Amino acid sequence: MRWCLGLVIFVVVLEVCARVDDVISYDAPFWGKYDDDILLQKDSIGKWGRPGAHYAKWQLNSLGYRGPELRAGSIRIITVGASETFGLYEAPGEEYPRQLERDLNTWAGRDVFQVVNVAFAGETLPTAILRVPQIVEQVHPSYALIYPDLSSYIWMSLKPANAPANQAEAVHHQEKFESRLSVRVENLLKQTLPISIQDELRKISMRREIASRHYVILDRLPEDRFEHFRRDLRNLIAELREHGVEPILVTHATIFSKPLAEGDRISLTHWRKIYPMLKEEGFLDMERRMNDIIRQTALEEHLPVIDADEEMPHGPKYFADFVHFTTYGAGVMASILTDGLEPLLAPPLRTAEGSTQSGSLAQTDSAGSSREQ
Amino acid sequence: MSSQALLYVFVLPVAWLLLWLLKSARSRQLLLLITSYVLYGSFGLKFLVLLVGSSLMNHALGILLRRKPSLGRLWLGIAVNVALLGTFKYLPPFALLLPASSLTTVLANIVLPVGISFWTFQALSYLLDLYREEELDPSLLEFLLYMAFWPTVLSGPICRLSSLLPQFRSPFKPSQEDVRRGLDRICIGLFMTALGQMLGAGLHAGQGIDGIFDSSRQNFAGPDIWCLAIGYGFELFFNFAGYTHIVIGAARLFGFRLEENFDRPYLSTTPSQFWTRWHMSLSFWIRDYLFLPMVMLRRETWWRSCVLMLSMVVFGLWHKGAFLFLLWGLYQGILLVLHRQWQKISGRYEWHLPQSLMAPLCWVVTFCAICLGWIFFRANNLNQAFTMLRAAVTPGTYMRYTLPGDLFLLVTVLAAGYFLTVGAQHLLRKHAEAVTIPLEFRFALYAVAVYAGIFHSAQTQAFIYLQF
Repeated sequence: MRWCLGLVIFVVVLEVCARVDDVISYDAPFWGKYDDDILLQKDSIGKWGRPGAHYAKWQLNSLGYRGPELRAGSIRIITVGASETFGLYEAPGEEYPRQLERDLNTWAGRDVFQVVNVAFAGETLPTAILRVPQIVEQVHPSYALIYPDLSSYIWMSLKPANAPANQAEAVHHQEKFESRLSVRVENLLKQTLPISIQDELRKISMRREIASRHYVILDRLPEDRFEHFRRDLRNLIAELREHGVEPILVTHATIFSKPLAEGDRISLTHWRKIYPMLKEEGFLDMERRMNDIIRQTALEEHLPVIDADEEMPHGPKYFADFVHFTTYGAGVMASILTDGLEPLLAPPLRTAEGSTQSGSLAQTDSAGSSREQ
Repeated sequence: MSSQALLYVFVLPVAWLLLWLLKSARSRQLLLLITSYVLYGSFGLKFLVLLVGSSLMNHALGILLRRKPSLGRLWLGIAVNVALLGTFKYLPPFALLLPASSLTTVLANIVLPVGISFWTFQALSYLLDLYREEELDPSLLEFLLYMAFWPTVLSGPICRLSSLLPQFRSPFKPSQEDVRRGLDRICIGLFMTALGQMLGAGLHAGQGIDGIFDSSRQNFAGPDIWCLAIGYGFELFFNFAGYTHIVIGAARLFGFRLEENFDRPYLSTTPSQFWTRWHMSLSFWIRDYLFLPMVMLRRETWWRSCVLMLSMVVFGLWHKGAFLFLLWGLYQGILLVLHRQWQKISGRYEWHLPQSLMAPLCWVVTFCAICLGWIFFRANNLNQAFTMLRAAVTPGTYMRYTLPGDLFLLVTVLAAGYFLTVGAQHLLRKHAEAVTIPLEFRFALYAVAVYAGIFHSAQTQAFIYLQF
């Protein structure tokens, strides 16, 4: 009996330790819910960053964007995208927008550029289009790097009746007790279980999901999804242009080598676990075709395109999973973007230098500087 | 925590339960051997093949020595073992110094099998004990188990067959006290490794002891060096002593009692005392099989000093075939020789300070000298080591500091916390011998240790001595 009580005490103290750890490390509340939902709030358009929110390593600024506060007198570039851009696995301050800003300022020789990360995990192109006026009013960007999330198009028409619209909307509506210890146990197992066992577990979970939700399994994404993507991309470009922002397209990079390398199958299974209705080969086809659409759109719209899909090396050194960067990978991505942006940014940089010499650097951002710190 | 650690967590309880079912010593030894090979094999099958090969070879050499304990046969055994260790441990760094060729590329890429320094020294102690005609008659199974025994094979303690053999042959009957003591030791170890990892990683990214050593920073001030030296001394101690607590505790759960490796080393008041309290199993190995046999050859003082220096150089090079470890060994040798000379001089003139003044003074000098030596042990290259030592001996650099204030605070709090804990432990033992912690409170303490050692430290560094 005493041993049973001892075991209960053991588990309870572990849970208390997890909560105290959160309080000390992240200034989290001891009681109540503490997960990444606290980063977001909902408005008429959808999910949106909560100003000043922070969860674990993620910190949003006073406008609700990941990263530091806006700096007056800088040439601003916004990064539009989803979780790949928001940053998941990188060390804090090492997501590619932050590294890009450092690289650009090193190239410029002074802190003249500011990259504002306006992406959120699960952000889709349709919601990004609706957000443009708000972003432009707050940030006054000169350029927008568009690094779209392609897989959101899988959910659009294929979701079952009881499934959420996309990953970001899969929110918990009930305020119930959630063990913070269980999250740590899960993370620990992810780190320590051999990859092959994790792969098998994912397959089992995927089969259960398919059986319980009665998904129709597709070999390839239907043609209308690609058209939808093309239309959304064009609308976003038009919306940005209308607000005086110059779009720059970036093709989507993945961990997968061409042809597939050893170990890529495991990453494909990992991807499919999130979108069980599309077969593994369907993801590769989707990536290839949507990247072609990005290139073609850039050509038709006379826009610069940075071909991250071609230039980004593949493999686990650069990607923590199928599409999300490691800290190192984010650095490589940032340098690819810097190389692509340098010719485009040279003229505004010269203008800014001229302004500095005449003592009015703040003119590069005259409209918004009064609101900023 | 690694996949291998998870394997230990799953395999060992199963082995523990199965051992209760087995009646004969031989079947228990077989199960322990299989368990040890499964766990060691998880680090690489090639490593396992090498371990098995070395075990078979040493067992055969042991049979030869038992039949006729001749110096020639002993030297053959020593040569073969040193050659094996040298091939994996010293050849790769040596190959890097040679002009580039396909051969040097192959040699430089040889991977060091985990624990090879530990199990090779165990094999050597077996051969040396046989040469001294100790009564050791292990069966092949027992010897294979001695070499691969899961608690000791990775990072020691380096055990002698004479202490393990009777335990391999005795019935499997871990008592409640064994389980309690074992769990206590594991939890103390987990807590200590968490503290070591906290020192290494720091309170903020890149601002721990390891981050500073691994940076290209050059402008050190005097206080920085002492912070780094003392901080690394405690990091290494918490990490290695914590690991040793875990393995000794895990072995105790199975009823095995392993030799201790640490005995409050930072309380030592002389360098000689320090080396009877730090990594004791290796220190005593070198004393018994290298220092004592050599020092007996001549009676002169210079010879004793030379042997002392040589022993400490071997101690240093046992860790790694690198110039910095040679320097570290030399430095420790010089400390020991200086200490002996000091003893002689003070003995000759019969001049003594009062003990109340002398003991703290000796402690401070020993602690500082030992800690300063860790610079050689941890520095990434000679240039860094000498830059740091130069800052430490330049009085002008003591008016400033460049490291984060958090790190000074962390090192001070953990070092002071350690000494306070040791003091409190001493007082408790002295004045309240029969203090018993209620089971419920004990479980709560276990939970804190498990959280600190496993969940909180999950993403930080591994055990430092696994690299040796």
